Amino acid sequence: MTVRGITKRIGSIKFSCISPEEIRKMSATKIITADTYDDEGYPIEMGLMDSHMGVIEPGLRCKTCGCKVDECPGHFGHIDLAQPVIHVGFIKDIKMLLESTCCQCGRLMLSEEQIKARRDSMDKMEELGGDTIDAKNFAKDTAKDASGKGICPYCGAEQIKIKLDKPTTFRQVENNHKLNPKEVRERLERINDEDLITLGIDPKTCRPEWMVLTALAVPPVTVRPSITLDSGDRSEDDLTHKLVDVLRINQRLRENRDSGAPQLIVDDLSELLQYHVTTYFDNQTSGIPPARHRSGRPLKTLSQRLKGKEGRFRSNLSGKRVNFSARTVISPDPLLSINEVGVPRKAARELTVPLHVNEHNIEKAREIVRRGPIDAETEDESAPYLPGANYVIRSDGRRIRITERNAEDVAEGLEVDYTVERHLINGDVVLFNRQPSLHRMSMMAHRVRIMPGRTFRFNLCDCPPYNADFDGDEMNLHVLQSDEARAEARILMQVQENILSPRYGGPIIGAIHDHITGAYFLTHENPRFNAEEAANIMFKLPDIEMPKPFIDEKTGEAYWTGKQLFSTVLPSDFRTTFKANICQNCKGGCKKEQCEFDAYVKIRDGQLLCGTIDVRGIGNSKGKILDRIARDYGSTEAAKFINHVTRLALGALMNHGFSTGISDQDIPAEAALQINEFSNQCIDRVSELVASFRDNTLQQMPGRSLRETLEVEVQGVLSEAREEAGRIAGKHLGMTNPAVIMAKAGARGSMLNLSQMAGCVGQQSVRGERLARGYWNRTLPHFQKGDLGAYARGFCSNSYKSGLSPTEFFFHAMGGREGLVDTAVRTSRSGYMQRRLVSALEDLKLTADGTVRNTIGTVVQFKYGEDGVDPARTVRGKAIDLDDLFAEVLGDRADELLKIDTKDVGGDYGSLEKDEMEYIEEEESEDFDDLDTDYEGGGE
Amino acid sequence: MAYKDTVKALTNRGVREEVAAMLAAKLKTLSGITAAGVEGLVELGISEEEAQSIIAAVGKRAPSASKAAKAAVEEAPKVEVKMEEVTNFYQYTDTEEKLKGISEGLGYKLPMKIIVDIAARIKDADLDDATCEKLIKVANRMYTAHLMDQNESAGVMAAHSIGEPGTQMNMRTFHYAGVANINVTQGLPRLIEIVDARRVPSTPSMNIPLIGIAASDENVAKMVASNIEITSLLDIADVETDITNLKLVIRPDARKMDEKGLTTEEVVEKLNKLKAVRGLVSIEGFDIVVTLDAANEEAPFKKLQSMFEAVKNAKIKGIDGITRAVISKKDGVYGIVTEGSNLKEVLKVEGVDADNVMTNSILEVADVLGIEAARNSIIHEAEGTLGEAGLDVDIRHIMLVADLMTNDGSVKAIGRHGVSGKKSSVLARAAFEITAAHLLHAAMVGEVDHLEGVTENIIVGQPVTLGTGAVNLIYTPKTKGDEE
Repeated sequence: MTVRGITKRIGSIKFSCISPEEIRKMSATKIITADTYDDEGYPIEMGLMDSHMGVIEPGLRCKTCGCKVDECPGHFGHIDLAQPVIHVGFIKDIKMLLESTCCQCGRLMLSEEQIKARRDSMDKMEELGGDTIDAKNFAKDTAKDASGKGICPYCGAEQIKIKLDKPTTFRQVENNHKLNPKEVRERLERINDEDLITLGIDPKTCRPEWMVLTALAVPPVTVRPSITLDSGDRSEDDLTHKLVDVLRINQRLRENRDSGAPQLIVDDLSELLQYHVTTYFDNQTSGIPPARHRSGRPLKTLSQRLKGKEGRFRSNLSGKRVNFSARTVISPDPLLSINEVGVPRKAARELTVPLHVNEHNIEKAREIVRRGPIDAETEDESAPYLPGANYVIRSDGRRIRITERNAEDVAEGLEVDYTVERHLINGDVVLFNRQPSLHRMSMMAHRVRIMPGRTFRFNLCDCPPYNADFDGDEMNLHVLQSDEARAEARILMQVQENILSPRYGGPIIGAIHDHITGAYFLTHENPRFNAEEAANIMFKLPDIEMPKPFIDEKTGEAYWTGKQLFSTVLPSDFRTTFKANICQNCKGGCKKEQCEFDAYVKIRDGQLLCGTIDVRGIGNSKGKILDRIARDYGSTEAAKFINHVTRLALGALMNHGFSTGISDQDIPAEAALQINEFSNQCIDRVSELVASFRDNTLQQMPGRSLRETLEVEVQGVLSEAREEAGRIAGKHLGMTNPAVIMAKAGARGSMLNLSQMAGCVGQQSVRGERLARGYWNRTLPHFQKGDLGAYARGFCSNSYKSGLSPTEFFFHAMGGREGLVDTAVRTSRSGYMQRRLVSALEDLKLTADGTVRNTIGTVVQFKYGEDGVDPARTVRGKAIDLDDLFAEVLGDRADELLKIDTKDVGGDYGSLEKDEMEYIEEEESEDFDDLDTDYEGGGE
Repeated sequence: MAYKDTVKALTNRGVREEVAAMLAAKLKTLSGITAAGVEGLVELGISEEEAQSIIAAVGKRAPSASKAAKAAVEEAPKVEVKMEEVTNFYQYTDTEEKLKGISEGLGYKLPMKIIVDIAARIKDADLDDATCEKLIKVANRMYTAHLMDQNESAGVMAAHSIGEPGTQMNMRTFHYAGVANINVTQGLPRLIEIVDARRVPSTPSMNIPLIGIAASDENVAKMVASNIEITSLLDIADVETDITNLKLVIRPDARKMDEKGLTTEEVVEKLNKLKAVRGLVSIEGFDIVVTLDAANEEAPFKKLQSMFEAVKNAKIKGIDGITRAVISKKDGVYGIVTEGSNLKEVLKVEGVDADNVMTNSILEVADVLGIEAARNSIIHEAEGTLGEAGLDVDIRHIMLVADLMTNDGSVKAIGRHGVSGKKSSVLARAAFEITAAHLLHAAMVGEVDHLEGVTENIIVGQPVTLGTGAVNLIYTPKTKGDEE
């Protein structure tokens, strides 16, 4: 067995340029012919696929190391270039060197003192811990200072200005003489080592003349494997194609030069060679056409292999493909714990966990191996699931595949120190993930529960952190392979450890949708349940004891109340007070316990005394009870609470029965008439406004054109119309209406949605303005040119239920399209922003002394967040919960003692689904107030 | 200045070519020539007369002259700037002091914020000392329980917490800043703008509270606003060209003039300072007339046209960059909201509560008030933007981003030109953007990557140095021999 647990770390990686000598030295073979394979299909000696450079075909052996495919890492070859060629990547640096050094003696054109001063500064910088970027900028500065001198301070030679003809040609400014790479190389050779150090170049790792290539390293064939197509044809890699080009031109250039061809031809050929080498390095160099494949597709050469999202760095080095993972469609299962994930048998039989065999478990391991790789397709789904194994790894590292046939033998041959890759079993720790992985809660550890079927299943409460729904979403599952990983996952990544979001210090996992409706029905107005009903609600909570029933005074029958049942899942010493979501924000001050809407929640000693439990109680992101339990009672307790409370709520909901349909949006005829009347009134008012705009009697707002004033006024009137319609509709949709219950309890939907369905859809807009585009001076041909009225500019006076008119329908589609476009644009923009943020901040960590530092030890914050508090453990961003503090120290005296203002009791976590209608109302009333003052002020 | 340019500059000033060539070779630059002076030139073999003319010619348009003048101006008022003493330190109240004393006495390190919060609640309650001590003890227990763990990857947490809600933000939300008609970019574009550390935001805007009578009197407030808002001539008058008489006729609009608090004389004075029409402006009746001195002009119509353009856009009043200033009323106090931003100038305006002026241009804050202010500005803006979208993000995350952006004394962007481009690791930079360039440069200077960051270690396949990866635990198992 290999020694486990001892890990070697790579200390550092040094980058350097490679010298031509070294290229030749490390080269396994020199390459002279552009041909690849001979007629038999074997690689040609000294050709581009020479087997000295490694092998890609099974059966062949590498001629350098004698290894087979996958064992031989590949070896470099080289091409001797007939003429030096400039490396495009260094072109700017070469230019800098040519400009800052003397063309005769090669010295850096700065006086001795200047050089000394520069070197001193560089030493100082290093001493003070300047990083490479500072050094780079400083070197750039040095070069700039040195360049542009007329005369060399050392040899007195007059300098000739050089300009760069992109991409790779240097010319002398005076006579337009072209400097060929050879001359460039000679000049670079003359620069001495000391001057290079001043210019920030390490002569040991990179002599500048190496930037002008005389030998080209040819990557191993394993780097550029050729593929054999089905037709038997060979298809070469892009790099090989490019190298073929280089070789051909190199050959021709050499022949022509040796045979004494005219200079013109030699020049042309050397330029062509330069082109090919340039595109071999980077096929997206500006200024030259990219080299193309026969099919016209630009070749993917070295630089393209590394660059960008699909490049080596981002797709193969920063992100790696893994084994022991699975992906399938997800579906919900409310009876799973939030910590669990349902894994289909078929997946469980493929995913394995290594089981290290020792004296104590060898029999158990044998039993597992004996079962073999059970085929999930043919297996009886109703039979209990028993784990088998797919592979056995011997202590010498050999892997034995278990088949049905050899299972028995392998099991017998099992020894201590072997590793058995057994199938997944219940309770295994796995990572579960859904893309896009925007935050750490996008990947959490779950416990496996093997289930029939073909989908992954999990508790609905886990939807918000993953942002998952079940309309076809797929998720990934990774099986952990080491004990260390499992331990870390269990302690840090398990779902219950992530209930509190570090984004806002509130729960991100909690009851959603039906759970909330259920809790509402369970607790609102404290319903009574008889023995049967109570048992029906409670039987899904096996570890909770049925509380003692009340006895009806008249009938003598035992009954349980909803609040009583709810209290059973609360910790026994739990206390809190808050206002539920259904709170009406009564104008005359809160009546607290006497609230007629049962919206004042008071829990003492784990008993719900009054109030309705809704989204503010147990909902994700808003749930106060949940929040407190997660923070004060620990994650295990919180997970238990969520499991219990959701089951309880679903039990209550099933007992009650709940559905909503189109008839829930029915409003009485007179209400519809009222809405109609009011919206007609508003439309008339709009017409009046338009008329007054036309005859210039409209009162202009300060700082706005008349036209803008009209738009503001019209929008005001029309939104009033929608609101009034909503109000009228809302009056007729009482708290008995299921849709209203959902909206008010915070389960799903808002009053705005409802008023649009029942009352009036309202103004459609694009870019926050009334619709104005389409035909010349009108939105649709159904209207007069220049019509500025309500209907002509996208007002929908119908409701979704009554149906939109054709023009309204079209306008609605316009508004809807904007939303879609917006979403599409947003995802890419915000994705890039997050990538940048992560890349900028990823190295920051909290050190032992409480400072936040990056990897090189620069202090970014002296105390994290100025108080060192973990945002996930804060109370709405506050370091400690003062209410709790006072409740603990002063007990119930707290309230009267401190005259606590209960205003902020209803405070909210950041949430998306604010009741939009209220929101708009607030906004607009504010806006209008301001308008008024502004109006009076600047009016005259 | 290179040899050639110098020659060119000299010949342009009427110096003979061969003299120019010689001078350029010897003295390199124009400033060199001026420095050498007449004597220096004479020494070089030029006749005194010519030398004088050369010096004069060089001096005429030579930038060095004006620079020198500027330098003189800058040097002259080198009056010692007295640092104003900061007097408005926060004074802790008695309750706060008392609690602080208890906390310190117990050796706790409770943040002052907690103590202040507690004090605010108990200030009227009149609690005895024992209760206070108990309060502090419990508070300390809660506080220590909420502390962040060591080696926590605070950065990634912050990046996630700001990035994730970004997906939920709207693209095109405009928010009307206080008053109905000044609109400010909000939502995701604004957030991106903030982390990009753009020099000028797409909708620069300022919020200027007023002080003194300006805060309570609407007319004074309006006056202040008119002093801030830039007023060009066209805003207050019509301009016509009178081609027959070769003059510009400016007809001020009395009402608009009145609104802006301008008189005709003031306008004339301003216009007379304009380079194109210096000294040509006068009042004729109600009009202002710019008369062209036709006799001295070669192309009078052309000149007239250029004068027209110059006059039309002439700034009469206000502060550069502030295109609009609207007064707003909040809690009975007047303030000004602007479109466009120029913090430095606004601070000088009378009636402005300079301590509380806000601008959304972060770079400007950095320039005028310094890096700490810029850091606070980033926090303020980012928090405002997220809050506006109804998203709750803990301020600690935003603080971390702001602190990182301003860490080295200048505002750096989050991205390849800023923080990410300045990382110490080659591999990390290469993995982010502009891969090839970073690798090539690293090879040239022989850079060493010490594999300390996250990306580098992922690339080479090692545990990262954050969280559990930062802890090294060496365990020597006891062998049987040790037990004895």
